[in-house]
Amino acid sequence: MSALCKAVCVSKRAAELARIPCRSLLGFTKHYSSGETGETPGNEEGTPPAEKRLGGFAAAFELHSDLQQKHDIAAATVGKTASSKKKQSFAYLLKHSPLVQMGTAKDKVAVGKIFHIVNDDLYIDFGGKFHCVCKRPAVDGEKYQRGSRVRLRLVDLELTSRFLGAKTDTTLLEADAVLLGLLESKPK
Amino acid sequence: MAVGLLKKVGSDKILTEPLKHPDFFHLSELFSLKDLFDARVHLGHKIGCRHRLMEQYLFGCRLEQDILDLDQTMEHLQQALNFTAHVAYRRGIILFVSRNRQFTHLIESMARDCGEYAHCRYWQGGLLTNANVQYGKGVRLPDLIVFLSTLNNVFQQHVAVRDAAKMNIPTVGIVDSNCNPSLLTYPVPGNDDSGPAVELYCKLFRMTINRAKDKRRQMEILYGLKSQND
Repeated sequence: MSALCKAVCVSKRAAELARIPCRSLLGFTKHYSSGETGETPGNEEGTPPAEKRLGGFAAAFELHSDLQQKHDIAAATVGKTASSKKKQSFAYLLKHSPLVQMGTAKDKVAVGKIFHIVNDDLYIDFGGKFHCVCKRPAVDGEKYQRGSRVRLRLVDLELTSRFLGAKTDTTLLEADAVLLGLLESKPK
Repeated sequence: MAVGLLKKVGSDKILTEPLKHPDFFHLSELFSLKDLFDARVHLGHKIGCRHRLMEQYLFGCRLEQDILDLDQTMEHLQQALNFTAHVAYRRGIILFVSRNRQFTHLIESMARDCGEYAHCRYWQGGLLTNANVQYGKGVRLPDLIVFLSTLNNVFQQHVAVRDAAKMNIPTVGIVDSNCNPSLLTYPVPGNDDSGPAVELYCKLFRMTINRAKDKRRQMEILYGLKSQND
């Protein structure tokens, strides 16, 4: 047991020195060191303060986990209204939105929802400004109904092009995506 | 005669009282920045489609897609809804216009739900400017025209924008990054192509107009009773 603990401690020290945030490793350490009584450094149970001198990363991790716990408790008890009261600026919302975080739309996989069907044409909304239109695939064709969720590989968010002699681009008011298939539901 | 005088004073009160408050109908509680953001109101067209006069309303351009500044949109939307509410309070006729075929049914049913009018079909040339000839003498024109999309099907400005300006009819319009905001009285920079965005606008206009009409009924009862009691 102690040998295993030592191995874990060594790897944790290595992580500390290398400054790699490996939470799973530290979680592992926590699980094992709870049985020990202050043998391992960075023990998060109640060890006497004189004994432990946490390294830089371990201290930061402890602080963060405490804050995270407090935030979770607060969020659980007060409910959604508390978090929504905190006004987030438009710049913050934009920066953390999936559209901006995704980057270029080319070759990104997204999940869309079919909102309209015309014979073999599926109109799919994936959260961008425009929807995309894809042909019903030959495989599992009848499973694609209004409301089904599908996987798409995006090509372009808006199909526009500047034609000769035009002042502005001509837009098709549509996005372009390749239909990959239905969203497989996770087995519960 | 005294009753007649009191009634007149009462009706003056009904009309002047709302003008004393900046947000008489409490419309700022109907929408928030987060609601606009979730409805994709900030998404504009590609940079190549941009209209020169919309540059003031843009937050920036991300990977060739224009992003509208929602802080400005909030202010403009607040003013536009407030004006719409005041027009509805004073029993004005509101006409909703949009040539976006995807939302024709939505807009028409919304107009019916709030007791106002919608024209989302082909616009004949002289509807406003030649109304006396086309509809007969003494026809009442709309007191406010709300555009949920200011472009027609060939990406030119809708004729009604220019005609309303000619006929001194105030206009409220949702302008996307490829629209011209100059002729509108209350332009609202926002997305006019996404489903969630147009549904949000419809919901907001419907709630505003219903609120204003309910308030009018309340005020009439209040001041009607007061003038009776005095």
